[in-house]
Amino acid sequence: MKKLILNKVGKVFIGEDERQVDALHDVDMTADAGEFLCIIGPTGCGKTTLLRLIAGLMPYSSGSILLDEKPVEGLNPDCTLVFQQLSLFPWFSVLGNVAFALEMKGLEKNERRNKAIELLNLVGLDGVAKAKPYELSGGMQQRVAIARALAYDPEILLMDEPFGALDEKTRQRLQNVVLDLWREKQKTILFVTHNIDEAIYLADRILVMEADPGRIIGNIPLSLNRPRNRLSQKFIDLHIEIRNLLEISENSCAKETVL
Amino acid sequence: MKKFIKTSQSFILPILFLVIWEVWAIKLDNPALVPRVEAVFLVLVQPFNELIGTGTLAWNTAVSLFRVMFGFSIAVILCVPLGLWMGTSRLVHRLVNPLVELFRPLCPIAWIPFAMAFFGTTRVPQLFGIRYSDTILDSIQVGMIFIIFWGGLFPILLNTIYGVTGVRSLWIETARILGASKRQIFRKVILPAALPAIMTGLRVGLGISWMVIIAAEMLPGSDSGIGYLIMYSYELAEMQILVASMVVIGLIGLILNRGLEYVSIRVSRWQSLER
Repeated sequence: MKKLILNKVGKVFIGEDERQVDALHDVDMTADAGEFLCIIGPTGCGKTTLLRLIAGLMPYSSGSILLDEKPVEGLNPDCTLVFQQLSLFPWFSVLGNVAFALEMKGLEKNERRNKAIELLNLVGLDGVAKAKPYELSGGMQQRVAIARALAYDPEILLMDEPFGALDEKTRQRLQNVVLDLWREKQKTILFVTHNIDEAIYLADRILVMEADPGRIIGNIPLSLNRPRNRLSQKFIDLHIEIRNLLEISENSCAKETVL
Repeated sequence: MKKFIKTSQSFILPILFLVIWEVWAIKLDNPALVPRVEAVFLVLVQPFNELIGTGTLAWNTAVSLFRVMFGFSIAVILCVPLGLWMGTSRLVHRLVNPLVELFRPLCPIAWIPFAMAFFGTTRVPQLFGIRYSDTILDSIQVGMIFIIFWGGLFPILLNTIYGVTGVRSLWIETARILGASKRQIFRKVILPAALPAIMTGLRVGLGISWMVIIAAEMLPGSDSGIGYLIMYSYELAEMQILVASMVVIGLIGLILNRGLEYVSIRVSRWQSLER
């Protein structure tokens, strides 16, 4: 298991009019092996960019990203990413989607099938292996996407608001699915969300981000026992703490624009 | 019952058309101008009868179809890979696209004089130094193949490029973070994702190829094919053969389109059902 370290990582986008946009500025963070880390922040704070940099889908402009002391350059083979959008390949069946990731790992056809069924079983979807993605609900499609990511068997699982488009009930059910998988597979998980409740329910530690430029403004370790009670006093206190942190940052943004 | 009524509605106008035609033909009473419906029908139901010394209706149809399949296959074999290449490589696109833009406005028919001048009546076996091969290839003129090729070229090429460039970057990124190589991304993501657009290109291309072969066969130097049959029966004022040939062209075009449509729907079902 590997430890992820980000040192003063920055990302500058060049806009249409050659204007430079600081998407991320001097981001320092670590993720211990096996840690469940949630990243929370307002829209435009660069949380998606942060995950994409760690995955190696785009190069960073400054600083360094280290995985077990080794710098991440190009696509990071120890990570995979579950997108917010529904990203299943519609021309493959559910089984085919999971088997795709296994094929990339070089597994034989029979092995792929058995392993894919096993993974679908883990996310509670072995009954629909032959279905096509468009025949499933959004929640089921995200389960398949998670099973597919697990098929890749990464050290670090990056999840970019995977339940952002789902209703509250489905969302909570899938949060438990992810927690179970995390415990069973012992992965490091970096989970981006803008839902405070979701972050507190899942995380070992929460990083709070602010926009303009995107940076980390809070690092909150959680000591609550799992399964967590969303209505317990500690849970609610944390919710208020993070809410205050985020609202302060929103106010400061508003002030800047007024000035 | 409901289905029967709906199906029969599709026949109302065609039948009305035939009735008006027949009334017109009877009133005019000049079969050299407007043939009777039953005269045309008689030609159609006897496709293996020898017609005005040009072979049978079935033979001429087969020759036309064979020419189209020959030229269209060449267009597919060349244009699908080229389109895939242009769609995936910006360099190739930059290199080839100016030529594509330049030639695209040229209707395939515009190439006929050029093809006649350049290829004359050279037949496919002659390209390989064989005078007569005693096969259907003897009736395949190179010039005609060239025209059919131009008919299929742009629909196939442009739709393939469109299909490849339209592949969602989300799918490609997903494949990348799951460890797919470029080759695997091409085979497992780009190709299936572009297939519906490629099929559309094939369908449109085959339709145009079928249209232009008829035009090519009407030209001097042609001695067989359904287009030739039309011109020749016109010269002999055998209007029932002319109209019967036109009906055959329409029917074959319809069958070709429906056939490819059927395949196309099967391979692109995911596209129409995806939300």
